[in-house]
Amino acid sequence: MLLRLRTDVREMLAEMLEYRELLYSMARRDLLLRYKQTAMGFAWAFFMPVLNMIIFSVIFTRVTKLNVNVPYPIYAYAGLLPWSFLASSLRFSVISLTGNIPLVTKVYFPREVFPFAAILVSLVDFAVGATFLAALMVYYGIGVSWAILFLPVVLLVQVVFIAGMALLLSMSNLYFRDVKYIFEVVVTVWMFATSVVYPVQSIGGRLGAILALNPMTPIIEAYRAVLLHGTLPDPEPFLLAAALSCVVFAVGWLTFHRAEFQFAERI
Amino acid sequence: MPVGKVIFDHVWKKFTKGEFHDSLRDLVPALVKRAFHPPPPREELAGKEFWAVRDVAFEVQPGEALGIIGHNGAGKSTTLKLLTRILKPTRGRCELTGRVGALIEVAAGFHPDLTGRENVYLQGAIMGMKRAEITARYDDIVEFSGLGDFLDTQVKRYSTGMSARLGFAIAAHLEPDVLIIDEVLAVGDMAFQERAFERINAIARSGIPVVVVSHQLERIAALCTHAILLERGSIAHEGSPAECISRYVMTQSTSAAPPDAAHPIRLTSATLSGSQPVRSGERVRIHIMGVAEADVPSAELAIGVRVTALHSGQVVFASGTDRCAAALPGTGSFALDVTLQWNVPPGIYALETHVWDRVRERTAVKGPSLTVTVKGGPTFYGAVQMNPRMEFSQPRAIAIPAGS
Repeated sequence: MLLRLRTDVREMLAEMLEYRELLYSMARRDLLLRYKQTAMGFAWAFFMPVLNMIIFSVIFTRVTKLNVNVPYPIYAYAGLLPWSFLASSLRFSVISLTGNIPLVTKVYFPREVFPFAAILVSLVDFAVGATFLAALMVYYGIGVSWAILFLPVVLLVQVVFIAGMALLLSMSNLYFRDVKYIFEVVVTVWMFATSVVYPVQSIGGRLGAILALNPMTPIIEAYRAVLLHGTLPDPEPFLLAAALSCVVFAVGWLTFHRAEFQFAERI
Repeated sequence: MPVGKVIFDHVWKKFTKGEFHDSLRDLVPALVKRAFHPPPPREELAGKEFWAVRDVAFEVQPGEALGIIGHNGAGKSTTLKLLTRILKPTRGRCELTGRVGALIEVAAGFHPDLTGRENVYLQGAIMGMKRAEITARYDDIVEFSGLGDFLDTQVKRYSTGMSARLGFAIAAHLEPDVLIIDEVLAVGDMAFQERAFERINAIARSGIPVVVVSHQLERIAALCTHAILLERGSIAHEGSPAECISRYVMTQSTSAAPPDAAHPIRLTSATLSGSQPVRSGERVRIHIMGVAEADVPSAELAIGVRVTALHSGQVVFASGTDRCAAALPGTGSFALDVTLQWNVPPGIYALETHVWDRVRERTAVKGPSLTVTVKGGPTFYGAVQMNPRMEFSQPRAIAIPAGS
């Protein structure tokens, strides 16, 4: 079994290395298409998080006062931006296999390319949206500390987690088309179960214990720590989230790789 | 340069008729059913399953070109999908070494909203080319496709033929270690088809293994070193392209009309005297054997031959003993010699024999058939031999009186 695992992992890595240019090409295709097909082009990268930031700023500063250590709009945006990275990556991934039936049934290449390209596209949006975060930081006079050096680690953990989820979701939607609809429901609930627009840590009791299992909360809090507070993330929850991300990724990729050969028949 | 090789080692592939459950609503009943009636082990057939490919084995070495022929549903496409790794065998082993160039669905990766140029890069990447390789061959690809001015137009504005040509041009510049070709030989107009075929021929002659599936039997004959005939998922015949093609044509004609046992004349064999290929314009004798169970008047039955060009399916010639004023022999076995002059262009022809019912004006019994390969003769090129006679003459010089 270990031997099979080793050959599988070697095969997976070799294939991704061989087809990395295809990954870029597919991501480039989707970016090009969006740029051509939409009037707003890359402005869409800001649009949703900024709109959400405005809405929640009104709710949590005018309707009811929420006490966070930084100005609320930047607190919200620093949560909404990584959240929309997760949400849009997964939203595109879910339909990435079923939306490319001609390719899946007619040409061979590692199918991981589809969900991975979806993540890459969302990563570009994430980077574009980050310029607005930088502008907000300048506006509110929040300085950058050495802790920002830890930002790539936080990003890596999030990408690993998203990749694992993306592989599992795209594959399950191929077998059961319900997954696409269930995902939309889950992602909405999930956002409010994560410290995106308010700190869920303030919820105590049994519900709080359940919510503490959500790996996205420590990840988003880690972004806030290194960017807004100038400190390293709270080690214990962040390390747990990182470990969980790695497990999700490993399980996701292995299952995907082993089921891959059925895709053309089952799609 | 890695040397490509194709090994198809006793491969079986199972498919299921009917639909899969692909919503969760269907999963629950399916799981319940599975719990009570465990499915049979993977290699056995359950209710709705069937073998699309059954124990097919072949190897293609560098420099060889294998043609796969067969009727629709014989398993050709499944075999190709197994070769290109889109499907995985249920049993057996399918192994390809080196970079596989597949001239199958050459435009599958095209996105209608992207321009021709953007699609060249995308499709190239899908076929496994590096960006730098595509850039290096970009001009050749454009030139080959003949779409020069349209590369900055979105592909959704292209005609079917234009996208197929562009797709083929990309695939043709892949420089593969193994080449796999499906029906793409029928891409574009006549001129492009010729160019495409020449290109494939050049790649095939470069010494890499090639696998071709086509209904254009003449292309198979011209391109392949050997062939297999598939019937209902398994190999029915293996050998030279001409042999397989003749078997294919024979099964086609026998399946078309069931033998009519009521007629008193049966044809048992037809053989060609002399060796194939026949040179265009050559006279060749066909030796037909048969048995007459009763004395039949020549006014009722005749023995006929019909020659069909396989590349076009066109009947190029038909005649019979009635038209040649040959009277039928009496009861007993007989032999009939038919000498034909092959005044036809190079190609592969099916020669079918039959007993013709002169009263009802239809074929009474089909006899054996054979294929005849015709190679270029010395005297002509074109569709028919028009037996040219050419003579030079010089008009008598008109003497112009000088100095008058």
